[in-house]
Amino acid sequence: MVFLLAFLFWAFSVQAEEIRLVPESPENLGDWAKVVQAFRLYPTPSRSVRYEGPTLATQLWGDLALGQARYALLLGVTPQNAVELYVDLDRDNRISPGEKLSGTRVSGGMAWTVSLRSEPLQGSSFDYPLQILWPEGRGYLFLVGGAVRAGEFRGRRIALVDGDLDGVFGTKGDFLAVDVDGDGKIYAEPDGHERFSLNEPFTLGGESFRAEVPPDGRSLRISSAAYTPPKVPLIPGSPAPNFTFREFQTGENLSLASFRGKVVLLDFWATWCPPCMASLPGLLELYREFHAQGFEIVGVSLDESVEDLRRVIASYGIPWPIAFEGKRWDNSLANLWRVYQIPTAYLLDKKGIIRFRDLEADALRKAVSELLSEPVTLEAPAPAPSMPEVSLRPEPILELRVPKETGIQEGKAAKVSVRVINTSPYLAEEVRFSFPDLPPGWEVEVPAPFNVPAFGEREARIQILFKGPAGKSLPAAVRLSVDYHYCIKDACFQMSQEEKIAFVLGASPERALSLPWWILALLAAGVLLSWFLFGRNLTVLSFVLVGLGVAALLFGMFWGQARQSQRIASVLCTSCVGIEEARAPTAEIPAALLSEFQNFPKTAHLMVFYTLWCKSCPYAKALVAQIASVNPRISVELIDADEKRAEAEASGVIRNGKAVVPAIVIRETGEILFGTEDLAPRILAALREIP
Amino acid sequence: MTHLVFPGLHCYACPLAVTVCPIGLLQNLVIAGSIPFYLLGVLALYGLVLGRGWCGWFCPFGTVNDLLAFRRAKFVRALSPLKILVLMGTVVAAWRLLDTWFCKLCPAASLTASLPYFALGLAQPTTPFWIHMGTLAGTVLGMVLVSRFWCRYLCPMGALLSLFNRASFLGLRIRREKCTECKRCSTACPMGIDPYLEGNSSNCIKCGECVEACPHKALSLSFGFPGGSGFAPLRFPWVRSGYRGISAHK
Repeated sequence: MVFLLAFLFWAFSVQAEEIRLVPESPENLGDWAKVVQAFRLYPTPSRSVRYEGPTLATQLWGDLALGQARYALLLGVTPQNAVELYVDLDRDNRISPGEKLSGTRVSGGMAWTVSLRSEPLQGSSFDYPLQILWPEGRGYLFLVGGAVRAGEFRGRRIALVDGDLDGVFGTKGDFLAVDVDGDGKIYAEPDGHERFSLNEPFTLGGESFRAEVPPDGRSLRISSAAYTPPKVPLIPGSPAPNFTFREFQTGENLSLASFRGKVVLLDFWATWCPPCMASLPGLLELYREFHAQGFEIVGVSLDESVEDLRRVIASYGIPWPIAFEGKRWDNSLANLWRVYQIPTAYLLDKKGIIRFRDLEADALRKAVSELLSEPVTLEAPAPAPSMPEVSLRPEPILELRVPKETGIQEGKAAKVSVRVINTSPYLAEEVRFSFPDLPPGWEVEVPAPFNVPAFGEREARIQILFKGPAGKSLPAAVRLSVDYHYCIKDACFQMSQEEKIAFVLGASPERALSLPWWILALLAAGVLLSWFLFGRNLTVLSFVLVGLGVAALLFGMFWGQARQSQRIASVLCTSCVGIEEARAPTAEIPAALLSEFQNFPKTAHLMVFYTLWCKSCPYAKALVAQIASVNPRISVELIDADEKRAEAEASGVIRNGKAVVPAIVIRETGEILFGTEDLAPRILAALREIP
Repeated sequence: MTHLVFPGLHCYACPLAVTVCPIGLLQNLVIAGSIPFYLLGVLALYGLVLGRGWCGWFCPFGTVNDLLAFRRAKFVRALSPLKILVLMGTVVAAWRLLDTWFCKLCPAASLTASLPYFALGLAQPTTPFWIHMGTLAGTVLGMVLVSRFWCRYLCPMGALLSLFNRASFLGLRIRREKCTECKRCSTACPMGIDPYLEGNSSNCIKCGECVEACPHKALSLSFGFPGGSGFAPLRFPWVRSGYRGISAHK
């Protein structure tokens, strides 16, 4: 027995190798080693933190968690208009003047550097350097970090990055970067062939490995894994991975390799992607100019709708072949080419070698012209010096809140409300819900795809039906997958997030049956009886009805409905009572007006008062977000008038005890704009009043 | 005060309103997915105390109806279920369309919210405003032509209170030995019903006009134990026989 145990210990221990990792400067590794994440600020701190420094005209607070360590951040504007950043470095919930960081002015904002300490629940604490950027006039920061650490494994560089900036290694979003080809440079951009998520094996010299990461990231425990083919490099100089596809219009079977001898632009695009559509006329012009000389475009459409694609092809007269699978981001060609954002375009030379990626219009024309004049050579050219820079890493931007547990009964549908909160200044588009591993016997009804505006919220209801079979044990939880995309300037990113929905078998759906329905049922029966017995003595019945009425009233009060009624009645949503039109949660400001906002020369702060159930508030929020996006001097603050009543009162949004929403307050003048009618011109007029 | 429910049709958006309109609250609770225990409990108690006496004595929009009651007309029984349909439509619209559709059409909101907000410069003359003005104009015309037109046929609040009208403690009482069936009470009734036959029925707003009008003091309005004195046989609401019994207080 002892020998067996010793053998097993040996067998396991020899296969795992532990390597030490030491902090490394991201500059020595590459741009990918700096993780960038938007970090939202709020007008009040999320917990009790006192500020003891000199007076600030504006305060914006954030709460940064690095493992168990939580740091309060305060971005303040002094009466002299200087921007200061304070961090509660000693975590005593008091921000003293000594905790002010010294910042530097950078193009379009301010930058600070700070070294914090992360304290993972397990493992030892470690230093966590962060760069904090503030885009001027905005109510959020960008955190740049990742606490990258590096080591060596079998003679190759290996690095570990805290990709979700949570101060704990081994969590979702963290990744490994391994110099698998041993060229001394690591290609670990989001679609790089040397980037691996922590549950993904990597392959070195024909052998695959998997890494285990302790929370403090001081070491990596690397063990053998089943052989996995290495990722194909997509860097300039590499042969383009071949694929075959069925041409969308002709139905002809084509392959990428069949275009050898031509200069090919492989374009990943979709009709729903505005930057892709914006580049289409330029591509058509390029195609017309160079097609006769041997230039070809192969489009890979990430559309889902055949009609949309057909309509766009017909209206633009797109002449080049298009591959279409109707699976959006599940497109096999996009997966083969590890496309994570669109538009993505690779320019291949006549030998089928990747030469350039994501070139701008003029550079593309020049490159096509040069490649067309190149003779077909047998040798591949040397790799281009570097990959194009990606300014921002794609990060999840939605926060999902699901109930702790949902009661479910066999054969009865349970409704689960999921709150989707957009924590970023970008529009989350086509948010879709799905359950990837739903066991047999379950049925779900998910809401139609929807958008969540910048910093907006949506509540989505999912209906789940557990059909049995009876006696079969219920899974403790099912995975809910939320897929969406968002665009930053010209790049669109596809994201997928997951949450678990936990179930309690036998508990009634949403505790509905535990409610005293019988009170209302008896009340209704009593009322009906009083109609039948009209003309007879109803004294006893009336007293019974009074008792039931009191019971219903007390239960309602106990259940918080009196408070709910007060909340509903203390906020006046102007579109709810038909004082004005309810508007869709998207806003489009005409270009002429938008350019006036863009050229507005003064600094302004818009406070948008809203409530959750207000129909037109999402429109007002979207409108001001669009205004702020074109002019960094205009900042926006979203205030829930129901939660922050004192603030609403101080701003004059409360009229006769009722907060009137949506309302936009110009902080500099105190002017309040109610409603949404002609809102953009009214905001512009109000901004012009600022002295 | 804003958590208190006042059982009369009024718009909580009115600049002077300090209480909640039960119909507005009902819609919002339905939209929020709540089962309105609190609201139904409150309404049951209100209904059991005065029944539709709230319509006759306290409802602000009822007062507007009274101010424009230039022409008394006979109650058209066939139109009576309309108000129940309005109530059901309101709840169903809130449930299925997740919107407060009744509020967007409500003439009380037109009068006490849309117009004041327009006058204060907080609202613009947009489509919803003109819809409100249209429903207000239609209702005012109805009220001028037929007294208590809104209360008779369309008011969902009246429909809710009418459920409790027969079992409420405030009731109309008739002394049959004094009644000569002169029908002066019928002429005086703003709802156009025959109070000596239909007192305390779902369309009686217990306003007391009939009591005033009765020359023989056969009618009185008072608090008492609800129901009949025992002489009336069991009566089904859908059977309209020649029976002339009414709900009377002891």
